[in-house]
Amino acid sequence: MAAAIAASLPAPQAVSTPAAPIHEPIPASMSKLIDIEAEIPLNLVQLEGLVVSKIVKHSSESHLSVHGLLLGLDLDGTLEVTNSFPLLHNSGDDDDKSSKTISMSDFRRNTRETSAHLPWQVRADDSVVGFYQSTTMGAFFSQTLVDTQAIHQEKLRHGGVVVVHDVSQANRGNASFRAFKLSKEFLDAYRKTPFSAKTMINHKLTFTSILEEVPLKIRTNPLLSAFISSLSKRRASPLVQPLPSEVYHTSLPSSYSTLDLGNPTLTKNLENVVEAIDNYKTEEGNLAYHIRQIAREKARAEAYVAKRKEENANRVAQGLAPLPEEDITRLFKIPPEPSRLESMLMLGQVDAYAKTLEGTSSLSLVKMYAARAGMDANHEVFP
Amino acid sequence: MTLGAPSSGVCLNLSSGPVYRTPSVTIHPAALFSILDHYLRRTDTQQRVIGTLLGTRGEGDDAVSVRGAFAVLHSETSEQVAVDMDYHRAMFDLSQRVNPKESIVGWYSTGSNLNTYSALIQNFYSQETAPYPAIHIALNTGTEAGEEAGVKAYISSPVGVFPKPENAVFVPIPVTLRVNDAERSGLHLLENAPTSPVGELAQLESTLKDVLDMLDRVLAYAQEAAAGKPADAALGRYLMDALGAGTEELGKGGFTSSLQDTLMMSYLANLVRAQAEVSARLALVTAP
Repeated sequence: MAAAIAASLPAPQAVSTPAAPIHEPIPASMSKLIDIEAEIPLNLVQLEGLVVSKIVKHSSESHLSVHGLLLGLDLDGTLEVTNSFPLLHNSGDDDDKSSKTISMSDFRRNTRETSAHLPWQVRADDSVVGFYQSTTMGAFFSQTLVDTQAIHQEKLRHGGVVVVHDVSQANRGNASFRAFKLSKEFLDAYRKTPFSAKTMINHKLTFTSILEEVPLKIRTNPLLSAFISSLSKRRASPLVQPLPSEVYHTSLPSSYSTLDLGNPTLTKNLENVVEAIDNYKTEEGNLAYHIRQIAREKARAEAYVAKRKEENANRVAQGLAPLPEEDITRLFKIPPEPSRLESMLMLGQVDAYAKTLEGTSSLSLVKMYAARAGMDANHEVFP
Repeated sequence: MTLGAPSSGVCLNLSSGPVYRTPSVTIHPAALFSILDHYLRRTDTQQRVIGTLLGTRGEGDDAVSVRGAFAVLHSETSEQVAVDMDYHRAMFDLSQRVNPKESIVGWYSTGSNLNTYSALIQNFYSQETAPYPAIHIALNTGTEAGEEAGVKAYISSPVGVFPKPENAVFVPIPVTLRVNDAERSGLHLLENAPTSPVGELAQLESTLKDVLDMLDRVLAYAQEAAAGKPADAALGRYLMDALGAGTEELGKGGFTSSLQDTLMMSYLANLVRAQAEVSARLALVTAP
């Protein structure tokens, strides 16, 4: 049997002759749209249907936050994301970065290897334009996100975008995708280490100004939308006397899960808020301790300097040579100012959780009144 | 729910080797859309595209769930068919790192013609999925005149006294589209494309409008029936069941306490947000 396959599958290398890249001149009509130097600012992120379904699939597979790469091209200020690739799940925060970089370089190597000798691969976009991240309850501020995005900012065209997908909203029936990039002020501040209170004040940074949102659009190509519409088309049941609920059947039945009255995530959300506030409190305590430490050391140093000055004045008065001014930085170790980034991000988490809580509670308020109106009407009809 | 027109054909299981129960296949939208994307990016000379299906096998090995797919390069001429196995291996290794739970379950092709080459490719994938039978998904993109978009699934059995790899009987097996809640909401977004994701309140509004439309239709039907137009008794009973559903759990006492809880939540959330905002602003205050 093996002989038969070998005979019928002659040398797979035969098809993979590398196609020499042909550089065509940019047509005049496109010269304004294609910017080689990435000068046209991004004003829209466009997600292809395939990317939507791949991100949703990847996010719903894991309880933890997942991330992956976005592949695509930008044209005239619109970033077209046409494909995505999931990256490894990471469990701990310590090996976070290492595993991410490993898998990313793996991916890079693989795409480069394959795109070199696969003619079709050239047809798919394989340039990394950003990454996506799943989140629960809308809270996605984290050190990792900011770090990764800051790395991308230097490596990728337009600095890359991050698309955030909220799993808890998707499970309730509303797929939420939002695109962000780091704001200019934040990047300036981020490059200055340590991230001190002074840099924050100079750049007028709060948690709301770390990221700026980029408008996002969902697009399906004509083939996909035709396929989806044929999937959701209602067909008459082949049965002779079907049940009323089965007269029509479709591959894509509508779900009305947004109308569900209960909100199972409410308790979890509340817990998240409390936890985030606790974390923030601890971090603030640490910061305050550091600042007190700095103040104490500074006071001691100043006291020493003052004492030395007084002594010198006395000696001069007595006609003696003054003692040399010593370098106080060597005598007193003033600890460096702590980074404020962590506490700012934590405050962002608190705000994000509270915002989700606010949203869901207002939503359930609307639903409750709607349900009561329905119930009252029901009582009038069937007393 | 079947994909495509329901078939009235009778299937014969001609399996002569080890007997498996006919597997049932569920397919997730991500896999379908990958196939469509691959088809869209084919070269002019390619009649069809093929690729590897990734998925999981349920308990008892007879429920296969196709969760993803990647494209594989192949060429078909009148004399020969070739599949780039190196590429297939490399891609599988890559996806295996990210998602070790998904294994190769079969292969896909676009178009609905099954030929000798299909049997050869099927033979190759049978070795990849051994000891389980390889699933073949034929996706009709509906781009050719007279053909309807749809998905069909097959397993193969060898045929003839002396089985040869280029001869096989493709046995149709049932295939259904499986969407979980999250995927369902993603698809809802795609159905209305081009669009932008909206907030939950806007989503609720559009859903309520849908429900209102449906109620109007039902009301029109009921009024016609009341006016003496012949109507379906079974439908009437169904409507009675559907609309008479109780909302007792929201009874008078329950409603008030639940309302208080919800208002409390809303108040708390607003308070936390205000405090967070104040705290962030206070950090920026400098001594005059």
